[in-house]
Amino acid sequence: MISLNDCDPGFKFEVAAEPGGAGIKACFACAACSARCPVAGHREEYDPRRIIRLTLLGRREEVLSSPLIWLCSACYSCQEVCPQQVRFTEVLTAIKNLAAKAGYAPPSAKQIAGLLAGHGRLLAVTEFENEKRAELGLPAVEERGADYAAILGIAPEAAEAGEEA
Amino acid sequence: MARVCLIWVERPGLEGLDPAEVAKRAGLSLDPGGAIPAAVVTAPEWAAPPAVRSRLAGKPAQWLDLAGEVGGGPAEKRLARAAAAVARAAGRAALGTLPQVYTAQPAQTVLVAGAGLAAVAAARQAGLLGHPVILATPFGRAAQAGADDEAEEVSLLAAQLPAQVEVLAEAELRHLSGAAGDFTAELQTPQGAQLKRFGAVVLAPAGGYAPPELGLDPELAKPVADLPPEGLAGSPDKWLQAAVIAGVDAPATADAFARAVEAALALQARDFVQTTLLFSEARVASEGGERRYREARQAGVIAARVAAGGLEVAQGGRLLKWRDLLLDEEVQLRPDLLAVAGPVAAALPAFLANPVLWPAWPQLVPEGPRFSGGRTARSGLYIIGALRGTAPGRARRVEAAAAAADLHDRLTQGRATPVPSVRNTACASCLTCVRVCAHGVPRYGSDAIVCAPAACVACGMCAAECPAEAIAPPGWSNPELIAGLEAGLAKSAGTKAVLFACGQSGAQAFAELCRQGHEWPEGLLLYPVPCAGRVGMQLIMKALSSGAAGIMVAGCHDGNCRSVSGNLRARLRAGETAALLERLGLGPERVEFLHLASNQPRRLAQAVDRFVSTLG
Amino acid sequence: MTIISTPVLILGGGVAGVSAALELARRGVPSVLAEKGPRLGGRVRDFCCKATQACVHCGACRLGDLLAEAAARPEAAFRSLALAAEAQREGGVWQVELRPQPDEGEADPLAQPLAEKTTVNAQAVILAVGYEPFDPRRKTRFGYGRVPGVMTALELEAMLGQGVLVGHDGQPPESVAFIQCVGSRDESLGNLYCSRVCCGFALDMAGLIKEGWPETAVTFFHMDVQGYGPSWEEALPHMRQAIDFVRAMPGEVSAGENGPRVCFAGPDGQPRSREFGLVALSQGLTPPASAGALSEMFGLNRNQDGFLGEDAALAVSGAQGVFVAGTAQGPRGIVESIDHAALAAGAAMESLFRAGKEAAHG
Ligand SMILES: Cc1cc2nc3c(=O)[nH]c(=O)nc-3n(C[C@H](O)[C@H](O)[C@H](O)COP(=O)(O)OP(=O)(O)OC[C@H]3O[C@@H](n4cnc5c(N)ncnc54)[C@H](O)[C@@H]3O)c2cc1C
Ligand code: SF4
Ligand code: SF4
Ligand code: SF4
Ligand code: SF4
Ligand code: SF4
Ligand code: SF4
Repeated sequence: MISLNDCDPGFKFEVAAEPGGAGIKACFACAACSARCPVAGHREEYDPRRIIRLTLLGRREEVLSSPLIWLCSACYSCQEVCPQQVRFTEVLTAIKNLAAKAGYAPPSAKQIAGLLAGHGRLLAVTEFENEKRAELGLPAVEERGADYAAILGIAPEAAEAGEEA
Repeated sequence: MARVCLIWVERPGLEGLDPAEVAKRAGLSLDPGGAIPAAVVTAPEWAAPPAVRSRLAGKPAQWLDLAGEVGGGPAEKRLARAAAAVARAAGRAALGTLPQVYTAQPAQTVLVAGAGLAAVAAARQAGLLGHPVILATPFGRAAQAGADDEAEEVSLLAAQLPAQVEVLAEAELRHLSGAAGDFTAELQTPQGAQLKRFGAVVLAPAGGYAPPELGLDPELAKPVADLPPEGLAGSPDKWLQAAVIAGVDAPATADAFARAVEAALALQARDFVQTTLLFSEARVASEGGERRYREARQAGVIAARVAAGGLEVAQGGRLLKWRDLLLDEEVQLRPDLLAVAGPVAAALPAFLANPVLWPAWPQLVPEGPRFSGGRTARSGLYIIGALRGTAPGRARRVEAAAAAADLHDRLTQGRATPVPSVRNTACASCLTCVRVCAHGVPRYGSDAIVCAPAACVACGMCAAECPAEAIAPPGWSNPELIAGLEAGLAKSAGTKAVLFACGQSGAQAFAELCRQGHEWPEGLLLYPVPCAGRVGMQLIMKALSSGAAGIMVAGCHDGNCRSVSGNLRARLRAGETAALLERLGLGPERVEFLHLASNQPRRLAQAVDRFVSTLG
Repeated sequence: MTIISTPVLILGGGVAGVSAALELARRGVPSVLAEKGPRLGGRVRDFCCKATQACVHCGACRLGDLLAEAAARPEAAFRSLALAAEAQREGGVWQVELRPQPDEGEADPLAQPLAEKTTVNAQAVILAVGYEPFDPRRKTRFGYGRVPGVMTALELEAMLGQGVLVGHDGQPPESVAFIQCVGSRDESLGNLYCSRVCCGFALDMAGLIKEGWPETAVTFFHMDVQGYGPSWEEALPHMRQAIDFVRAMPGEVSAGENGPRVCFAGPDGQPRSREFGLVALSQGLTPPASAGALSEMFGLNRNQDGFLGEDAALAVSGAQGVFVAGTAQGPRGIVESIDHAALAAGAAMESLFRAGKEAAHG
């Protein structure tokens, strides 16, 4: 049972205010997006329209904490068929940003962020890589994790965590 | 009167009367032979010689059983009685020489009873067309709008009423009877009651919104037109919840939905108010409807679709529950503000409840496509605006404009309105014609059937149903039809079949097929009739006895008869005749009714081919 | 070069244009109607009667009534194969140049083909040029013109009018799907309006199919069902029993083994697909093709949706002495178009009165 009195009416405005989120409120639930979404075809619980609906009703925690929002493959099929120009792929990016801010990034995303913050790329640069690069005549690379950590707003411990994983 | 001739047929009981003297006293000329416009015959139709009958085919004739009228006694008395009877009959025969002659000229004054946009627009249009108009409004002035109307537009129009429009303030239409050209209305004003004759009547009573019965507490639930005052606003921590209900048990009309959307937008615009719009179907089929619906969502209104009948209302609306169809989950809402949209409606005028003078609503205001633009089945009566459920704004102006043109056309004979001729000497006063005429044309006057002068559409239903062959629109009496039928059947060869085709459907489809070069079965006789309802049992039997092997009647589809029930009546009579034939062992398949529309020529061709082939 | 003078010139001979002529005639005002095509009647000519057990009030046969009345109205003159090319207003009179169009050999019993370039001098002009059905090729994903068995509702109308129903393989289909709102209610196309007639004609055609081919299963893909009066609302529950109402806009129509395959989301939000013998696209109404040219020619406004005339309350158009009737002004059904012409005719008549008064007062 959802009680609208306990929902967050501001949530949809918050999403709409994020870059890419502007279209969300236009959705009139026609389901064209769900029909075309390849992820929905593979994961029973995944349904773009459902995510929009929950957002519009103001189910803040349910949406932001949902692991489903991270499943999108960003194929833009939904965006292409939408008659109301909701731009769901971009809306979802907005939602994911809010989720990350609220600390709901899934382990995989945290891991990626940690790797970026730790190394400036998705894998650690070791002697081995630079030796191989030298053999191929490529310049050596160095880790610039600090820059990314600053952009991502990630503390060094998190970067460590990413490294460990 | 000079146009009517007296045809003297010698009969038992007429002995000793001088035809020339009777004619002279009645103001007629005695039959000169040859072509004549109209006639009084001194014998009932069955007793007249065939030569007389065929001469009069298609002519307005009064078949007078003069012997009965004359009686016995002194010669002078008999002569006077004969002359009087002939003169009366001549008057009726003259009615048939239309369009030149009318009993009464149709009244030209138009009554517009009502208020608001529809009424003022109709009065204005009728006035501009040159009719004296009485605008009888329940309010103190014409400019007063109904609850659901646009006050600004109404006063703008009211200020431009032409001089022909007389405004009768604080007036109530108490009683109404009649039909086009001859309505009688009783108007009650503070000055007293007055009876007036009108040519046409436009009913446009002011209306309001009828919110659906949902068990809502009126303290909480307001009509969308009457939102709770501003000031009730929420705060960032505590938003106020508003709900607008736009058709949940039954879907809203497009107009009600549009008003609900406006209300939702207005509520959502208040500070920290979250509005939920509840509906079973988003009825966006109005001008700008979809656009405003999107704007409402963009503004933050939650659009909640509820399965029809799926809204649970508790505590007078303080708790609403439904199933979200998309999430498949129960949702509940305790609204602080609640608004409800309903369709426009107006109270039915009391006089319409009189079952003797007025048919039931569905027969008076049929839903079919032929009764648009304010038209009703009763000729000359137009019902527009809230009483018809028409939304305020353009739709009402459309009705007003269409009604004004239609009544003008009727009253000024642009349509060459026929008047049925009644042979009062034959009439049995059974009132069948009064009952069958959907257009309200015949009514029982003090001692005879009288017909409204601008109301008949010549459907001929009265002629088909009258047991005494006493009434018929000009040109469509039984003798005229039968004469044509006999002549046609005599000419046609092969298996003789008659197709009676309604002018609104069958005859048009027939004409289209002819244009396409369609080949009809040999022996088929087309007989166009003004309405399938003209084809009664007498006519069918006559066609059969005149040599037709089969009769097909092609009329409009159920629910699309211009005269409301002519098609069903014809279907009924065809069925009855078929049953009779079956009992006589003559084969019921000889008579068939076909429902048709003017745009179904193929259907007609196929049905006729099949029908004729079964006749063999 | 011929010159005709008339109080009112009507452009377009669909139901709205013919009604405008009749509405004027009922008011005693003569008019000249110019139809660019060979025949009167417009789109409605090709519509079928959708009556089953009873008339469903689609309005298509009203055209027959209109033409029958037109034949009996001497006030209205009809010209076919006449296209307006230029217009200018001088001294309160519109001078409109009509050019003859190529003859297609299909004569109209009521209209006289325009023989040569003709200038019509008229005090008022009524534009009743109708609408353009949405071209579903613009919605490529519905497969029109690509996938066999996908047709427009107009094509289905014409087919049913012939008493025929054939699907992708030339056989009567076992199943038929209607896809609603094709080209309507669609911000991505800029058509942010409901076309108002397509729920009606689609479900009426569905009823016709169920009557004529009872074994055929019909599916109705839609978002909302619009209303068409009390008897429609009464009939809706029955329609829901005979027809499969799916509240979802399909994502795509592709060629399947046994006919067009429609992919759509089920009530659970999961994509699924089903093959149909025939898929009908309920195309919406879009502004008339000549809207741009006419608005320029007569200096009139177009409304937000691109139709002619902007005033919501009147049939007036913004330009002096020019009025709009029927679907040229916005989506509406046949009967509504017929009635709407009354408003245009009434307004045109008023403008004649005003002009007359002004003339009388010098
Ligand atoms: C698939 C489909 C099914 C429909 N079914 C129904 C239904 O069942 N019921 C219903 O109520 N409505 C239905 N409609 C809507 C219906 O078609 C319209 O309401 C109706 O045709 C409007 O009539 P009109 O006169 O405004 O326009 P049109 O019928 O389009 O007529 C316009 C006329 O103007 C002419 N013209 C165009 N430009 C010019 C010019 N520049 N100069 C001169 N002449 C010009 C055209 O040749 C045409 O004859 C349907 C629509 C569609 C697309
Ligand atoms: S972009 Fe994401 S949500 Fe949209 S269709 Fe692709 S996977 Fe599905
Ligand atoms: S396609 Fe667009 S309007 Fe339709 S449900 Fe998806 S997001 Fe909403
Ligand atoms: S139906 Fe015939 S007999 Fe009966 S009242 Fe009418 S005219 Fe007279
Ligand atoms: S012909 Fe028809 S309309 Fe005229 S009086 Fe008879 S029943 Fe009425
Ligand atoms: S209105 Fe439509 S359904 Fe009714 S008879 Fe006419 S064409 Fe047929
Ligand atoms: S009438 Fe129905 S199908 Fe047509 S646009 Fe409106 S909602 Fe869509």
